[in-house]
Parts: sequence; C-alpha cells; structure tokens
Amino acid sequence: MAPSTVDRRKRKAVSTDDVASSDVESEVEFGDGLLEGILSQSESEDSDEDSNAEEDSDEEEIDLEELEALDSDEIPSEESEDEAEELNGGLVKSNGTKTLPVREQALLAEEDDKPNYTVTTDANGGERYVYEEIDPVYDSDDSDAPITTNTIGNIPLSFYDSYPHIGYDINGKRIMRPAKGEALDALLDSIDIPKGWTGLTDPATGKPLNLSQDELEILRRIQTNEMPEEGYDPYPATVEYFTGIEEIMPLSAAPEPKRRFLPSKHEAKRVMKIVRAIRQGRILPYRPPEERQEEEEETHYDIWQDEQPRPDHIMNIPAPKIAPPGYDLSYNPPPEYLPTKAEKQSWDSADPEDREKEYLPTAYGSLRKVPGYEKFINERFERSLDLYLAPRVRKNRLNIDPASLLPKLPRPEELKPFPTVCSTLFRGHDGRVRSLAIDPSGVWLASGGDDGTVRVWELLTGRQIWSANIGDEEAVNAVRWRPGRDAVILSAAAGEDVYLLVPPVVDPETDAASRELLDRGFGHATNATQALTANGARKEPVAKWARPGSRLEDEGVLIKITLRTTVKVISWHRRGDFFSTVSPTAQKSAVAIHTLSKHLTQIPFRRLPGIAQTVQFHPSRPLFFVATQRTIRSYDLQKQELVKIIQPGARWISSFDIHPGGDNLIVGSYDRRLLWHDLDLSTRPYKTMRFHQKAIRAVKYHKGGFPLFADASDDGSLQIFHGKVVEDMMENATIVPVKVLKGHKVKSALGVMDIDWHPREPWCVSAGADGTCRLWM
Amino acid sequence: MGRIKKKGTAGQAKNFITRTQAVRKLQVSLPDFRKLCIWKGIYPREPRSKKKASKSAGHSTTFYYTKDIQYLLHEPLLQKFRDQKALEKKISKALGRGDVSDAKRLEGNASRPEKTGRTKYTLDHVIRERYPTFVDALRDLDDCLSMLFLFANLPSTDTVPAKMIARCERLCLEFEHYLIVSNSLRKSFLSIKGIYYQATIQGQDILWLVPYRFNQRVTGDVDFRIMGTFVEFYQTLLGFVNFRLYTSVGLVYPPKFDKARDDLGAELGAFSLEGNGVGAIEQPKQITNGEKSKPDPKLQAEIDKLMSQLNQPEKETGQEPPTSQTLADDEEEPTDTIDKFEPTAPGGDILLQPSYSATDPSTLFSNFTFFLSRETPRQPLEFILKAFGCKRIGWDAVLGEGAYTHNESDPSITHQVVDRPPIADLEAEEQTEDNQTAQKLRPGSRVPGRIYIQPQWVWDSVNDEELKRPDLYAPGAQLPPHLSPFVKKVRGQYDPSAPLNEQEREDEELEAESDDEEDVSDEDEMADQEPKLLTTMEVDATAAGMDVAGSDDDSESQEGDLDNDEEFGGFSDAESDEEDEAATLAMQRQRELEAEAKGEQVEEKKVDPVAKAKADARKKAAKKAKEEDEELERAKMMMSRKKRKILEKMVYSNKKKDSEAETLRAKRRKIEKSGKAAPRA
Repeated sequence: MAPSTVDRRKRKAVSTDDVASSDVESEVEFGDGLLEGILSQSESEDSDEDSNAEEDSDEEEIDLEELEALDSDEIPSEESEDEAEELNGGLVKSNGTKTLPVREQALLAEEDDKPNYTVTTDANGGERYVYEEIDPVYDSDDSDAPITTNTIGNIPLSFYDSYPHIGYDINGKRIMRPAKGEALDALLDSIDIPKGWTGLTDPATGKPLNLSQDELEILRRIQTNEMPEEGYDPYPATVEYFTGIEEIMPLSAAPEPKRRFLPSKHEAKRVMKIVRAIRQGRILPYRPPEERQEEEEETHYDIWQDEQPRPDHIMNIPAPKIAPPGYDLSYNPPPEYLPTKAEKQSWDSADPEDREKEYLPTAYGSLRKVPGYEKFINERFERSLDLYLAPRVRKNRLNIDPASLLPKLPRPEELKPFPTVCSTLFRGHDGRVRSLAIDPSGVWLASGGDDGTVRVWELLTGRQIWSANIGDEEAVNAVRWRPGRDAVILSAAAGEDVYLLVPPVVDPETDAASRELLDRGFGHATNATQALTANGARKEPVAKWARPGSRLEDEGVLIKITLRTTVKVISWHRRGDFFSTVSPTAQKSAVAIHTLSKHLTQIPFRRLPGIAQTVQFHPSRPLFFVATQRTIRSYDLQKQELVKIIQPGARWISSFDIHPGGDNLIVGSYDRRLLWHDLDLSTRPYKTMRFHQKAIRAVKYHKGGFPLFADASDDGSLQIFHGKVVEDMMENATIVPVKVLKGHKVKSALGVMDIDWHPREPWCVSAGADGTCRLWM
Repeated sequence: MGRIKKKGTAGQAKNFITRTQAVRKLQVSLPDFRKLCIWKGIYPREPRSKKKASKSAGHSTTFYYTKDIQYLLHEPLLQKFRDQKALEKKISKALGRGDVSDAKRLEGNASRPEKTGRTKYTLDHVIRERYPTFVDALRDLDDCLSMLFLFANLPSTDTVPAKMIARCERLCLEFEHYLIVSNSLRKSFLSIKGIYYQATIQGQDILWLVPYRFNQRVTGDVDFRIMGTFVEFYQTLLGFVNFRLYTSVGLVYPPKFDKARDDLGAELGAFSLEGNGVGAIEQPKQITNGEKSKPDPKLQAEIDKLMSQLNQPEKETGQEPPTSQTLADDEEEPTDTIDKFEPTAPGGDILLQPSYSATDPSTLFSNFTFFLSRETPRQPLEFILKAFGCKRIGWDAVLGEGAYTHNESDPSITHQVVDRPPIADLEAEEQTEDNQTAQKLRPGSRVPGRIYIQPQWVWDSVNDEELKRPDLYAPGAQLPPHLSPFVKKVRGQYDPSAPLNEQEREDEELEAESDDEEDVSDEDEMADQEPKLLTTMEVDATAAGMDVAGSDDDSESQEGDLDNDEEFGGFSDAESDEEDEAATLAMQRQRELEAEAKGEQVEEKKVDPVAKAKADARKKAAKKAKEEDEELERAKMMMSRKKRKILEKMVYSNKKKDSEAETLRAKRRKIEKSGKAAPRA
C-alpha cells in the first residue's frame, strides 16, 4: 500500500478538485481517445488530431512520473483520457465554427475514397488545399503505454498552487486547474461514497481518482491470484499440427481388424486372476507399509547337538592365545616391579615400537584412582589384525632345558682314570728331548734328545739308569722299544743311523735273549748280502747293518744300521720282527722296512706322492700306513696293493696313530688340528678338534685298554681325550676332551715333542723342548 | 626315464597362492574376502621358501594355502556376497535413473548391518564348521569375550550401531549369569588395562579382559569395519555357546530381559532366569533377612561385640550349618573323588595325584552380605561376588537398580566395600544412635560390627580361595601388592610372594653384601644363612638343568674373558684347591710369624666364625661354579656349530630372564633394607 503521506496529499487533492467529477463520469462513455485515433478519422480535425497525438506522448511521461512519485495502484490512463476529452471539449469550444464541417467530414469519411484534404479559400480567394495532419501512428507500437497528458515532469503538483493551471499538455497548452468544490461538497462526498470512489487523487489531473466496476473487478482478480482478464484461458488445448486436422482420406484402406471390436481375453484373464486373489484374500486392497521386521528374535538352538570331534587339519595352526598378565600389569604391583627413574626415562624416550613392553608398570594405590587404559581399543584391534592378517608359522619354541641339548656325555667319574697331574720329572737331557718311549713292561722310559744321548729312566722314580751317547753331533730323533716281552731291545735313530740297543737294565737272561735276537740275523745278513752281490754286483745295499764299534758295544749298542738320509721316525711291527723307518728327505727310499731277524732292509715304495712323514703298522692286519704331507695311504703288505687313501684335510700331517682296534686313527697336524678318522665310515675325518694354539707334534692312543688318547703340541700342553670306540658298528665313537696338562715350557717355539702312554696304566709321558720329560698320572 | 617335470607344478609353488590370486579366484572384492577370511578362520601362511612359493620374482606378499582358498570357493556366504553386490548395483542404477521407489524397494532387501545391526545371512554353519565340538568353541572363547566386552562398553557411532552394542551387552551379561549360576569363575585380576577374568568351563580355561568403565579413547587408526566383522562372528558364537551353557544347567535361553529395569541401570538384575524343567538348577534367590525388620539395639551391641572378637576367624559368623553340611557331604559321596594314596612303607615311588582345592568357590562369600559404597565399581564387584556365592549385595542408590538393599545402615550387612580415604576425626559414639534411624549415614562414618574393606580384598580372597585378613585391606591402609594369579611359578623366575632368601642364588646375597663391604656381621645373620643353604641344597636335588645353566652363565660372566669357542679348559682337580688351602695356610703361618715378631696374640682372626663361614661359602660356590663351567665347556665343544648356536641362543634368553629376576631381587632387597615395604599378604 502507499505510504500514509501520499494518502494525505491525495486526500488534499480530492478536497481541492472535485468539480468535474460528474463531468468526467459522463465523458468516460463518450469516447476513448485512443480508439478514436485508431479506428476512425471521424474527428479528423487537424488540431484535434494534433493534440491527440501529442497527448499520447505526454501521457507516457506523466505516467512515469506518477509511478515514481506515488507508486499507487491507480490507473492513470483513465484520467488522461478524461483530460483528453476535456481538451477536446475546449477545442471544440474554441473553434466552434468549424465543428460542423468537421462532422461532415467525419461522416464522409465513412466512405473509402474520401480525400485526405479539405478545400478552403485562402485570403486571396483562391482554392486552398488543407491537408490533414499525417498520423504517424506512433502509438501503434506501444498501444498499452498510458497516454501522458501533463508534461510538467516529476515535480510536486503543489508548485502550481498559485497558478490557475496545473501544467502543460504536449502541445504546450496549459492544463487548467479543475474547478474546486466547497469543503461542504467534499464532506458530502465523503459521506455518501460514490460508486468507484477510492479516496485517492489522480496526480495527473488533480481530480479524485475513481475506479469503475470493471477496474475493481480486475483488482479483485489480481488480489485473488486470478487471471486479470475474465475468461482468459492460460492453457488452451493444444491443437496438434497433424492430428488436429482430420484427414478425409484414410492412410490405409484396410478394414479395421476384428480384435478392435472384441474385449481382450488376456486382459480378462489377468483381471480374473487379481479378482480371484482378492476374493481369496491373497491380495489385500491396502496393506500398511510395514516397518522392517528385523526385530524378530534370532533363533537359538543347540548347534552342537550331534557334535563329532574332528581332528584338526594337519596344517592348521590355531591362533596363539594372548599371554596372561604378569605381576607388573597389576594396578598395585609389588614395589620392585615399579620402574626406576632411569628406566622410566628410557621407556619414555624410546620409540613406541622399540619398547619391550607397551605399558609402564604403575602403582595406583587404590582402585578408584585407576584410569582407563588408553590403548585398549588399539590393542584389541591389533589383536584382530593379528588373527586374520598375520601369517602363522609353527615355530618350535626352544622352551626346553638347554642342558638337554648338550650331548649326553659320560660323567667325569666314568671318564676316569686319566692322567691329571705331573708326578715325575725326568731331568738330565741337555737340550730338547726329541723322543721318548716306555718299554712294553712299563718299567722304563727311554728318551733321546738333541744332546745325542739315549737315556733309560726308571719310570716311577725318575731315576736315570742308563745312558748312551750314540749320535756324536746328531740329535736322537726317535727312540722306540721293540714290542714284545721276550726281549728288551731299544731302537734309536740319530742322523742317518738307526741303532739297536740292549740297555743293561734287565735281568741277565732277558739281556742275553735280546742280544741273541739281535745277533741272529748276522749270518743271514751276510748270506743275503753275498747273494745280493752275486746277483747284481753294481747294486748298492739300501742300508748297512753293522756293529757300531766297541765303545758303543760296551754300552749296549749292538747294531748300527746306516741309511742314506736322516731317519726321523721309527715304527715297529707288533710282532717285533719288522720295523720301519722314515727319512723324509730321501727321495725314493724315504720309507724303509727292516727285518730284524734277517738284518734286511727293503724299500717298499719306489715313489711316493709327497714327502713321507710317518708310518705305522696296523695292529692286527697286514696293513701298512704311510702318511705323506696331505694324505695317509694304507697298503696291503701281502697283496702289495693300495687299500685306501685317507684324507684328513690337514695341510701338513705331523703324526698319526692307529687305534688298537684297528678301525680308527687319529691324525695330528702342524696346522693345529687333531682329526679322528673312522676308517669304516669315510676317508674324511669323523671329528675335527682344534683346541691347540700351536702345531700338534705327536698323537698317541693308549694301547693298554683305556679309551684314552693324547696329543702334544708346541704350545707346551698335552690334551687328554676320552675316545671310546664301541664294538657296535652303528654307534659312533664318543670323544670327550678330558684334560689339559700343562707343565712343559715353550722353548724357541717348541713345546712338547713327543708323547707316549704307559702300556697298562692310564699314565703318559711327554718329552719337552725344555729338556725334561714328565710322567703324568 | 620319466618325463621332465615342469617347474611350478608341484610342491610349494602349488601349495601357496598369493592374496591377489586368491581374490581373483574367488571373484569377490577385497573387503568381502577379508570378511570371509575372518569368519572362516583362514589366515595367511609363511611358506618355507618364499621364493619357491611365489611365481613372480617380486618382493614379499601374503600367501594363503591353495587348499584353503579352494575350500572357500564352496562357501554359501560367497553367493550371499555376490547377491548383495548385484543388489547394490541395482540400487545404484535405480537411483541413477531417479527411480526412488524402486530403489527403496530394493533397499529393503539389502543387508545393512551398520543400520540394523543385523545381516541378511547367518553364520551358523560357519560356527559349526569351525568348532565341530562345543569344547572347541570354548577353547576359542578368549578373544570372543574380550572383544564383546569391549564393544559392550563402547559408545555408539555410525560405524558401531547402537543395536550391536546392546546385543553385545546382552550376550555378555547372559554369559556372566551363567558363570554366576555355575560358579565357574576361578580367578580375576585388576590390571592397569582392565580386569582379567578366568573361568573354567568343561575343563577349558577361558581368560578374558574387561575394560574399566570409562569412555574408550578411539583413535583414527582403528578400522571398526574389521572389528565389526569380528564382532558379528563372535556374537553368533557367544549366542550359541550361551544357549548350550544355559541348557546344560537347566535354564531357558534366552533369559527374560526386563527393559525397564535395564534402563534403570540394573545390569545383571535386568535378566530373570528360569528353569526349563529338565535339569536341576539353583536359582539365585533373594534371601531376606529376618533381622531386618527390627534392628534391636541390644542385638546390635551383641553383634558388635562378636565381630570385634572375631577378627581373624570371621568365617564363623554363620558357619554352623555349612560345617554340618560339608560333613554330610563327606559321607554322602565317597565315589566321585579320587582317594588319596599314602605310601605305607618307605621305598616305593611316589605317584602324583591331582589335588582338589580345599574350598568350593560357590561358598566363599555365601554367608555374607555386602554393601558397595558409591565410589566402588559396582559391575565387576557385583559379578565377582555373585560368582563366588554371595547372594545379598546392596549398593548405593546412585549405582543403579537391582540391589539387595540401598540402605547403607541395613543391619544384615556384614561387609562394606569402601574405596575412599578415611576422614581423620571419626567419633564412634556419635553414630550409635544415628545408624538405627538414619537412612543415609554420614560419609566416613562406620557402622559397628561391619567389616570395612577395600575392593582389592575381594579379588585377593578370590584368587587365594580364602578370605584374606581384612585389617590389611582396611580403608586408607596401604594395600599389600595385588599379584597376578595367572603367573605360573617357574623355578628360577622371581616370585614376589615368596620370601627373598628362598629364591636367590646362594652366592647372590654374598655378592650383594660384598658390594656393601659386609658391614653387617651379626650372629642372627649366620643363623639366617644356614637354613638358606639348606633350602638351596634341596632345590638342587630336584633341580632341572635350567638353573645349572643359569648359574653357569653367571659365573661365566664373572670370569669374564673366557673365550669359549675354541678353547678347552680341562678339568679342575684337587690341585687348585690344595693350592688354595696351602696358600691360606701359608698366609696363616705368615701372619702368626708376624704376630710373634710383634709379640701379639693371633687369636682374633679365628674368633670371627661368621666371616670364615662366609668366605668358605664363597669359595665353595666359586669352586662349584668353576666345575660346572668346565663341564659345560666340555660338552659344548662336542656339539656341532648349529647346535651350539641354538644352545647359545637358549642360554642367552635364559640369562636374560635370570638377569631380569636378579634385578627384581636386587630392587626388593634394597626396598626391604630401607624398610619401606608394604606387608605381603
């Protein structure tokens, strides 16, 4: 609605101009200016037409002005028309003389061929054609634009209060103020409201604004959201372009099919189906939209009613259970479980992944102080991840006693006896003791050393009984007793010579027997040598068997065998008739086998694949073992063939010994290894023992029934092992290290040079580079 | 000669299948595959040789057994998944078309467990497959219970629907009811993570963890879809287990659930159990007390007197009928139990027999009436007390519905569980009139004739199967340490409940003391030492080799730089000892000589028997250690390298354990010396 100020002004306007109200009314019917202009030229008087056209444009302006000034809902066109009428009236009055011909003209204009001019006489009396003004029909473009009458523009009407006119029309003529009624008239007007009274003043004309019945009807329609125009159809029925036109000729001349005229059986069937369903109640005419019936209680039943145990699949690994909580997880643990400050700090500073426990033991003192555990959900989540995502592996946890992994060893008590302590010290040698041996009766010890002497000691007391200087400048490299109790013969090697001695320590009978045994071969030897020389005169004997000379013979040295090169090793056959010597530096005759009864020396190997180190006779069979630097070869002496090549894997074999049983041997090497070979098992070692810091010089089995063996090393120690060989072929030998015997001093990088066992007791003797021998028992 | 075998057609290459291959073979999406694996219990494996198992030269992947995946191919759930997938496609298509009504209709058929808390399919057959027998199911119940109890305490979110939580809670409470009825709860432990419970059902020990009632902190790295899948399975499992358990004790499953009471916070009380008329049941009845009607001051005074007298044998409060009952029991059933065999004459072997615990868990609290103060955790206390035979538990009205009484001054209450510090000025006389009349007691006031204890008393009593001394657990008292009942006592491990000198190595204290410069030399310490040595001797007689190994290592560490790989120490023998002896003798003589030169007496050295004994002991220990060490070295040398490695690994772990125990012992020794230790129950 319009603001109240505007209303008031209008009221004022109403009170001022009301005179022409009746006049206006009457003239509304009289004619529509617009219509006049378009339809006919009935009033085609020049000035009239002129003013009419001008009024049109004028009215537009005023309309704009009014809209802005009042924004009321009056319809300005009406007033402007009124105004136009008025002007017309004025015009009519002013040139009343000319009205009649104009009328005539209007009447004439009904005909089509009327001329568009009038003929008048001009001042000269001549004929003058006065043409009508050309109507450019401007308003044909905007027919619905209101006609402006007042041209004063957008200024208040009050500016003209002091004038008799209220503005100018399009032609610049004054628009006269309408006559004003008295205040009483206004009052009367207000009392009996005339038809179409609005109480508003038309600003364009200054007259009260009245609305007609039609206009009110339009307003009502607009207010009620109806179409303003009555009977206007906004949605007219579509007239289809093609089908809207009824064709006279059909497209197809075929007659309509019969089915167009018969009711469908199929549809009847379907309908009947539905009808039947409705009758039977299968289809309810209306079913309320049901809420999802998920509330239905789940069914419980005994799923294990007929349970049958089924063994787990063999590859199934059940998930491990979570470990039960320990003491430190308690809310009130014993105080010793609480972390110290340092532990706490290290826990805090550690990365969460690195922490050993994901929690820190805390004492809360009272249950009400225990907070919620922050990582509860996370831990459970981790656990569920583990359950379905972690690859499971069956791991054999070593949850066993580590002691059970240790090999089952015989107890130390069972291993006993073995030598543990040095009981006797044999001092006397000047320089190293190179070799030593205990005689088969176990009473004497023979030793030979760098000083060139061979000495015989009483084993238990350590007293030197006898000594002989055999090698003048040469060291005694090997000392061995002849096996067998019938005679006491000692063999010793010094330089290229091998001496056979009978030390004067035994009873005379044995002594005599020994001498007799040694001398027996002389005749044979001479025969043999004679035969030899007779057969091939050029051939030089391998060794010379001779008497050593009277000085030595007095001391008990009976035979001297001279070989070509230095003899390092002497090894006796178990029967005591043969012995073998090794002189590593010799090329072809490194290994020699001597026959005592014949005083005969033979060279069994013409060629050896390496430098011979040491030799051994097999304790029971006719086998002969030769150790070169890398390998040990065993030869059958009877068949004269190679039986086996044993490869200990050592770089330089120093010595070896054969187990009395004959199926095992131990090898010592300069590269600090002690190797046990099971000859039945393999040519490779069964056990390798590396317990020495320095080279191993000598190894030896106990030959008198104790499962012992020992080795001697340059580090000055002896190691005693328990090596039990079982008769059972399936069982391997048990080897247990039992003792380290230390006592010998290391002199110029040499420690213990030789070792030997007592034939019956678990005692051993060792020869040291420090010039002593020791008895360990 | 056979044909040359193609590579990758047999053995590991055939037995294992990568995850991608498996998913492709099953034609399911990865989440569906995950679900299947979780439900069917299929897990990845670790092939012995990854290189052989994987066809490609790629890096590590997850491998499954081909057989497992083949077995999944026949799974009915797979079809369900496919149907669901097709349905989802239809729905999305309908939505794309803008066909809302169609989409809605299809949506009605879809499975939306996150909304409804229920799926369209059941996992019954999976349960049956995975657990062919009931005992199998019980064996696997640990994770199930832990998970469901956690979910019962979770807040509902869009990934964890409220219905799921409610169902978890119901299942858990039903299970607790079974435990109460069958008295099968055995142990419980208050840890910093939550409360551990252990029940024994049909011979299976089931251990689970229940969080404390706090809002759980949910971090972003937890995928609740995975947990939800587990929960879905576990719910089905526990439902069936509960059914079986309930029917086995003659109860109807599911028990009646009173929604109204549950809304009031009566958790266990919201269920009412009823017998199914098949088996005999013992219903937990509410026992009303006659005394309750008239609290007679005289009677109260009498009870007070009685209670003050009976501080230690508090079982006697109402013990007469049970004793007679137990007697009768003894006579009635001579057949069921194992008779004890005592050797009549010496010389026979001793055969082990399983031992029965002396007390029945159902009678531990059966004669008491408990009242829980409002600061105590009601749910665990109610459960554990009921599970151990208590019939009448009252609590503060704040703690919810379902109590025997909400009246704190109820005269029938024998024990009150309190967890608040005592108020210093506590007048006994001012409350004498009050407690008869007042409904509510003043906080901190005591009712005479009632035992006030902290909650830990309940747990410790339960775990030790005997009532603990209540004075140790009085309100405000420093509690004895709460020990885990699940730790098995292993020799060599530290046991906080045993006295210190029983479990330490014989030389340990000596070492510790030598660190302390042996300033204490009392006669009683000598006396202490003798029994200790005795016990260690006993222990050694029965010892497994473990301890030997352990002490070996210790001595080895003492000796330090002994290179044990290539060296061989040999045997010790009498020699060294003799030398030692000789040395000491020489020293003695030397001292005597010196003393003579000074003109003094030499007695004072001999008078100190303690030091001598100690020195002897030390020497003995050292000698023994040395011997054992030699022995070990000898044995080690005979092992192959591989075996030796294993041994060393084991020895290492044992050593670690030992050192842990040793630090604990050292800490305790320090604490005991400082005299700040709490009493040990």
